[in-house]
Amino acid sequence: MKQSVSLTVNDRPVEATVESRLSLADFLRLELRLTATHLGCEHGVCGACTVLINGEPARSCIALTVSLGGDEITTLEGLADDPAMQVIKQAFHDKHGLQCGFCTPGMLISTRDLLKRTPRPSEGAVRDGLSGNLCRCTGYQGIVRAVLKAAEDLAAS
Amino acid sequence: MKPAPFSYYRATSIDDAITALSGADGMAAVLAGGQSLVPMLNLRLSPVDHLIDLRSIAALSRQEETPEAICYGALTTHAAFEDGAVPDGTNGLMRYAASHIAYRAVRNRGTLGGALALADPAADWLTTAVALDASVTLTGPDGQRCLAITDFVVGPYYTQIAEDEIIDSVVVPRRSAAERWGYYKVAPKVGEYAKSLAVALIDPAKASARLVIGAWSDVPLVLKAGASALLEGVKQHDLAVIVQNELDLKMPSLSPAERRLHTSSVVRAAEQARS
Amino acid sequence: MNHSDTKQGIGASVKRTEDARLVNGQGTYLADLDIPGTLEAAFIRSPVAHARLGAVKVPSEYSNQVFLAADLDFAHPIVAATDDPQFQSTKQFALAKDKVRFVGEMIAVCIAPTRAQAEDIAQSCELELDELPALWDMDVATAPDALLIHEHWRDNIYLKTDVSVGDLERARKDATVSLSKSLSMGRHGAVPLECRGVLAHRDRRLNELTVYSSTQFPHVLRTCISRAIDLPESQVRVIAPDVGGGFGAKGNFSPEELTIAALAMKLDQPIRWIEDRRENLIASPHAREHRYDVTVHANNDGLILGIEAMIRVDAGAYSVWPWTAAMEAGMVVGILPGPYHVPAYAAKSQSICTNKTPMGPYRGVGRTGACFAMDVMLDAVARELHLDPADVRLLNLIKPEDMPYQSITGKQYDSGDYPEAARKALAAIDIGAIRSRQAAGEKDDRLIGFGMSSYTEQTAHGTAEWVSRGLPVVFGYEPALARLTPDGKLILHVGIQNHGQGLETTLAQVASEELGIAVADVVVRHGDSSVSPYGMGTFGSRSMTMAGGAVSVACGQLADKVKRIGAHLLQTTADAGTLSDGRVHTETASVALNEVAEAATLHPERLPEGEEPGLDISAVYEPKRSTGAFSYATHACVMAVDPGTGEMEILDYVVVHDCGRMVNPMIVEAQVVGGVAQGLGTALYEEILYDENGQPLSSTFLDYMIPGCAEVPDVRMLHMETPSPHTKYGIKGLGEGGAISPPAAVVNALNDALKSLGAEITQTPVTPLRVLEAIESGAVSPL
Ligand SMILES: Cc1cc2nc3c(=O)[nH]c(=O)nc-3n(C[C@H](O)[C@H](O)[C@H](O)COP(=O)(O)OP(=O)(O)OC[C@H]3O[C@@H](n4cnc5c(N)ncnc54)[C@H](O)[C@@H]3O)c2cc1C
Ligand code: FES
Ligand code: FES
Repeated sequence: MKQSVSLTVNDRPVEATVESRLSLADFLRLELRLTATHLGCEHGVCGACTVLINGEPARSCIALTVSLGGDEITTLEGLADDPAMQVIKQAFHDKHGLQCGFCTPGMLISTRDLLKRTPRPSEGAVRDGLSGNLCRCTGYQGIVRAVLKAAEDLAAS
Repeated sequence: MKPAPFSYYRATSIDDAITALSGADGMAAVLAGGQSLVPMLNLRLSPVDHLIDLRSIAALSRQEETPEAICYGALTTHAAFEDGAVPDGTNGLMRYAASHIAYRAVRNRGTLGGALALADPAADWLTTAVALDASVTLTGPDGQRCLAITDFVVGPYYTQIAEDEIIDSVVVPRRSAAERWGYYKVAPKVGEYAKSLAVALIDPAKASARLVIGAWSDVPLVLKAGASALLEGVKQHDLAVIVQNELDLKMPSLSPAERRLHTSSVVRAAEQARS
Repeated sequence: MNHSDTKQGIGASVKRTEDARLVNGQGTYLADLDIPGTLEAAFIRSPVAHARLGAVKVPSEYSNQVFLAADLDFAHPIVAATDDPQFQSTKQFALAKDKVRFVGEMIAVCIAPTRAQAEDIAQSCELELDELPALWDMDVATAPDALLIHEHWRDNIYLKTDVSVGDLERARKDATVSLSKSLSMGRHGAVPLECRGVLAHRDRRLNELTVYSSTQFPHVLRTCISRAIDLPESQVRVIAPDVGGGFGAKGNFSPEELTIAALAMKLDQPIRWIEDRRENLIASPHAREHRYDVTVHANNDGLILGIEAMIRVDAGAYSVWPWTAAMEAGMVVGILPGPYHVPAYAAKSQSICTNKTPMGPYRGVGRTGACFAMDVMLDAVARELHLDPADVRLLNLIKPEDMPYQSITGKQYDSGDYPEAARKALAAIDIGAIRSRQAAGEKDDRLIGFGMSSYTEQTAHGTAEWVSRGLPVVFGYEPALARLTPDGKLILHVGIQNHGQGLETTLAQVASEELGIAVADVVVRHGDSSVSPYGMGTFGSRSMTMAGGAVSVACGQLADKVKRIGAHLLQTTADAGTLSDGRVHTETASVALNEVAEAATLHPERLPEGEEPGLDISAVYEPKRSTGAFSYATHACVMAVDPGTGEMEILDYVVVHDCGRMVNPMIVEAQVVGGVAQGLGTALYEEILYDENGQPLSSTFLDYMIPGCAEVPDVRMLHMETPSPHTKYGIKGLGEGGAISPPAAVVNALNDALKSLGAEITQTPVTPLRVLEAIESGAVSPL
């Protein structure tokens, strides 16, 4: 049961004919080979698959590709030149905010959104704000420190 | 963990959606935010042959204000409430409730209508809607009907929505400006579904109070005795005893530990409302 | 040893090399591989816990896409037994033959161009299952008339052990208190964020079966696969790409790996299986599930006189290779006395077979349970005697002057000051302030409690330890091949697998220490059986010590050669120069590494006479004594409990930790904190319960909860650094330690808080409902 859909991915128009059951995550990963978006649960809980749909974070594992006609999708790859994202990545590196790296792309995208909405969050606000992104490795300490540092660096720049 | 095949149809209007629903052979379901439905599809827990997407129906994203109430289109997202992007007649209660549902990425897409249609007894909107005396407008082939939320929800995951009906909107009566609210959610983790959820509303000037307990094994319950005691200004400890007795009566299946839990959240919500 | 001036050697918090690809989303995990023509696999797994398996009805249109046990009958079953003659072993076939023994056991494999289609096929097949009663709990499985899960067995117990050391009679007689309790630790999963996965295909040019697996031990897996399907090892290559966390769950030889490898070989077709989260929670090896009946005999001061324990572990339906089903119980028996001086000890253990998912290793292995049992008991003794648990602990901890110390179970604790770690933790958490806060009470009526726990952890177990366990493999050593390339950069080829531990950085730091080379000029290649000498992989807190040792030896030898060549190039009379900043120095001049490397590789005529060309040096490392290096720590925490809702909050969490010489303190700290978060999962959140039909009740992240950002506190860490006398640089392993103490520390804090209500917690995870249940059955009603 295939259907065609046109959407924008990382600023590029994309036309595709896909199965109606194909998730956005699988579309990005399998059809467009954008593999920064990871799958940790495929039922909406872990946040590893977080991307931006029309600028807002969303779980790509529970978004259906065919339902996104006309929408703008942005993945970590599409934020390579985003100045805020560069600062955030640097902070994750500096504060050891990742270990195996599997949660990292989703974590970075959620962080960018959090700091956009709350530029100078408290530690508690960071912890609540990232509670929808699971990390099994870091115990979150490096992540929280990275986000606080990124907030500081973004405010300074 | 991939869904079984289904057909997909993007409805362009409410009528179009109803026609598609009525005409479908096999199991049809409407798609709103997809934040509950798609996980179930991925897990192959709900067999769906035809999916009818409501998301392009602008009418379902509308908000309408009257002096008595605010009507929220079914597709109004949790995030829209959280961000204060839609009008509020509840002194911020809905905004607070919305911001405690799941996580931002889920709130961006999850909808009020979808949450009520699902009727998960642990869902935030269900208990909130009961506390606020909301009503649900359903549209079907024969037109619209409006049901009080307590009539709309029949049981856990079970509502009055007919196979060819959709939720059009949710009507929430405006609360008095002087009314205070309390909202107490006990969840094992931030963003998780509640294990106990209590909402309290009190407006001494209008001599009105309301107490609702949700997120137990059945649909939310309105606690009348507790509400009267709240209004009378009964002290916390005595309020707890009254609430506990009322729970014993209405929820006899609770274990002692569960009874303690729900009593506490009701009393906490009440204390918050009158503090 | 050369101390580099670049400050990138041992002890520097160098930022990680591997971050560059990972923060840019360029990590390549198993599901990211793109091998043309790959078909995706979905397994048909048993929906029931215990049944005779009849026919599998496959719709005729799919007959070429569904494979059953008979199709893979050339593959040998997985057998993991200890050398104890009493051990009753299991045979786990790639796909179930005539019986299924747990929900999730593989029955068939379906292949199709997409996973969704493979799942469609799986759904279209019908299973004939003749259900048998489910032995869903260890008590049910050990009931006198219980059905046998493996028909040829004596009873449903893999192995019983019984040790008794010291004079227990006397301990019983001299004791002021002999306190007995039953404690239990729930079953849960390791739950790496990336689930498991395997991709196998035949490389026709090399005549090699290439198996990509999200594994912690590629070389060992190569051996397993080659033996299981009778291929020479030279015709099997195993590659672990980027691995999204393992924690033990990816350090086994799994039936999934066997099936995919065998099928890809049989069909000469690339096949991939990507585990989904439901499979991961149901069928990936589980962890813990211990029950303890412990008696502590102590004198009036709380001094331990003797300990008696019965330890039962629900090891599930099959014995996991190579660890065996007796691993958990065996580790517990050996380490239960922990960091305390125990003069008399008797322990019995049973590793029980049930119709549940097999039990595998998970960060901490038996020690998390052992530490929980021991430390919760010590607090109970303190309460019984009206003593402060901190005093009781300090009294019983092994003193530094007794190091090296031989434990009552024969372990050689190598070095450290255990009481000092405890004292530092008490000072950091300010035990005095907590006691006054408790006395004052809380405004919000919550109850505050203090808990602590100390452990000692055998790390980097060497030959002696593994031999004593009688496993199929002895993981005694680790290799490294160091290659200086003509441009003066270094490639390290190592047998471990890095999946978050930062080894691409820390091993480079070791090289930097030895060669004075910048970390940025070192590349670490790992996780591929064809790129390094045979190695054992990453598990058991071993990689830094073992592979670090090997890198050190190889780079040390390389440094000697480089210095000789450098001195010759500088035309000095000295035998060798010194190395730093990427140059060989003599008193008057220096030469860059790349010039030395070029001479050694491309211009042998420039070498001193008798010097062999080439700069590849391979070395193997084994610690001087193979009884292990013992890391240790004290965890201390303050918890608040809401007696109305059972909700708990961690107000403060302190870890004082000693892992010997720290190669990279930043990474050490993060490894500990990551472990603590997992330990808090064990303590408070994670559990896989089964119902009476043997159905697992947690199969998604909606009902299986791992701690999120808001649930884990900011852990305050203090370091101590007592080198191990047995290892290179005095390094001790530390990967697992963080996960050992949290359940004990948390439960002790909760019991301290709940003391006034006469309530006590003896089971993990401590959910809010369990707190309320304890309160309801406690002596005092708080309402
Ligand atoms: C990780 C996670 C955590 C969550 N935590 C919480 C939480 O803490 N509290 C909470 O309350 N919720 C929680 N949710 C659920 C979330 O709020 C969902 O958004 C909501 O329950 C469903 O809304 P939806 O718009 O996504 O509906 P969908 O998933 O699209 O649909 C849900 C059901 O409603 C039907 N439906 C949808 N719209 C209509 C309509 N207009 N008319 C008729 N039927 C309709 C669908 O057919 C389907 O059966 C969580 C979800 C996730 C993924
Ligand atoms: S993979 Fe989408 S939320 Fe986990
Ligand atoms: S770094 Fe491994 S899951 Fe977060």
